[in-house]
Amino acid sequence: MKLEEKILEVNFGPQHPATHGVLRVKVKLDGEYVLEAQPILGYLHRNAEKLSEMKYYVQSTVYMDRLDYVSAHQMELGYVLAAEKLVDIEAPERANYIRVLFAELNRIASHLVFIAAFGLDAGMMTPFFYCFREREKIIEMYEMTSGARLEYNYFSIGGVYKDLPEGFEEKFKAFYEEFPKKMEEIRNLFATNEIFVSRTKKIGILKPEDAKSLSVTGPVLRASGIPFDIRKEYPYLMYDKLDFDVPTYSLGDVYNRFMIRFDEMKQSLRIAKQVMDKMPGGEYYNQKARKQFMLRLKGTGEVYSRTESSRGEFGIYLIGDGSPKPYRVRIRSPTFHNMTAIPTVSKGYKISDMVLSISSMDPVFGEVDR
Amino acid sequence: MIVEEGTTKDNVKFYIVDKEHLIEELQKRKDEGWDYLALMSGVDRKEYLEVVYHLSSYSKKGLIIIKARTKDEKLPSASKLWEAATWFEREIYDLVGVKFEGHPNLTRLFLPEGWVGHPLRKNYDMNKEQFVNMDDEGKDVVSFDSKDGW
Repeated sequence: MKLEEKILEVNFGPQHPATHGVLRVKVKLDGEYVLEAQPILGYLHRNAEKLSEMKYYVQSTVYMDRLDYVSAHQMELGYVLAAEKLVDIEAPERANYIRVLFAELNRIASHLVFIAAFGLDAGMMTPFFYCFREREKIIEMYEMTSGARLEYNYFSIGGVYKDLPEGFEEKFKAFYEEFPKKMEEIRNLFATNEIFVSRTKKIGILKPEDAKSLSVTGPVLRASGIPFDIRKEYPYLMYDKLDFDVPTYSLGDVYNRFMIRFDEMKQSLRIAKQVMDKMPGGEYYNQKARKQFMLRLKGTGEVYSRTESSRGEFGIYLIGDGSPKPYRVRIRSPTFHNMTAIPTVSKGYKISDMVLSISSMDPVFGEVDR
Repeated sequence: MIVEEGTTKDNVKFYIVDKEHLIEELQKRKDEGWDYLALMSGVDRKEYLEVVYHLSSYSKKGLIIIKARTKDEKLPSASKLWEAATWFEREIYDLVGVKFEGHPNLTRLFLPEGWVGHPLRKNYDMNKEQFVNMDDEGKDVVSFDSKDGW
């Protein structure tokens, strides 16, 4: 008897635990191998763009928090920079330093969540606790300043909500001294684990030309060998005065995409230290933009602010028509484009490799579906 | 053919191109080195719909903006130049309602098929609720009656 070859069509998600939320992928399988994968998005869609159009300029930071809730500071930063340009308000220098400090701490926290979740997907439970233990220290720093642990609403147009509290500096110093050792410990759990290395190497390869055509950005692009970082290419705030490198890998497989986050955390810590050392004194909030004037902020024209979030280029394209509410808010979310690379990175590999490929893109569905 | 040019508030050059020459212009810019399609946005300007292309580059610094306007909701698709454009265009079709001609698979991206209206239009009625259910074949069915939803 001859076995019949059959191509199987399977729905992967939206309630599958390995899809990091609500991703649904329609997969065509030949045995274990993926012939075609089509991501279907929109299960967490709430149209943050429309919601922001209906609010005053200052009120929309709340929606930005809920985009990429793992690195909410960076989402706020992108919006606030665009809105400040549009309504002609400048934040004082100290506020900008605090912003960069938190954006970089946020990158470390976000990458720790990524490493923890990736470990789970690859079948390792222990690193999860190690990562969350370290993340907790960063979260405590957020809590000291903003009072919140997940969605901060800390940056606002004209500055930051509150100044750095007493005891923050010591807390940061302790973290700065301790973290490299802890990071090395976590890294060794993966890099010296032969099963993990052979499991992730040479699967889910994303070629640089595909990555370029798909507008993929962030660590995923840099793992494919293109040293493109908005902080270097299109500097905002004081990034052009800071000393840091852009780590790149060459192959663009899952292992590279995973390992690059460790190098990025190292650079982020370097930036955070420099910012903390150079932290100027003075106002943390522009007096012109004090609360009573906030709702009267008006803007005309259009601006596009580009920032490098933990997952790639985060952009806000803002159009004002002279009224206190924006005419159009357009959000460029980096993970949305990383998701569009799923058909490319999973074709020809096993379905179990596809799980790791998706995980290595670091999707956060609040941001993908907006 | 460039109809109008200027600079935005944050000093980025923009060019408004007529839609017959849009793909030609984008191709020309891509060959000049603007090879990274950073963002495509649809804007409802009430009298017409506008699609804004933010082009950046992997090799040089900077940003330029190409804009195209349409009164009949139709524009040529840039999906042959960038694969990312296929996704942007699906999103813009879904939320703003610009129909891109020559797109390989122009279906709604976020909202279910059959949704009435495009939410980012200025005349979209926010008070009219729509309810989604699934028929026997697994397709989304949209209705205005709350009894049909789940």
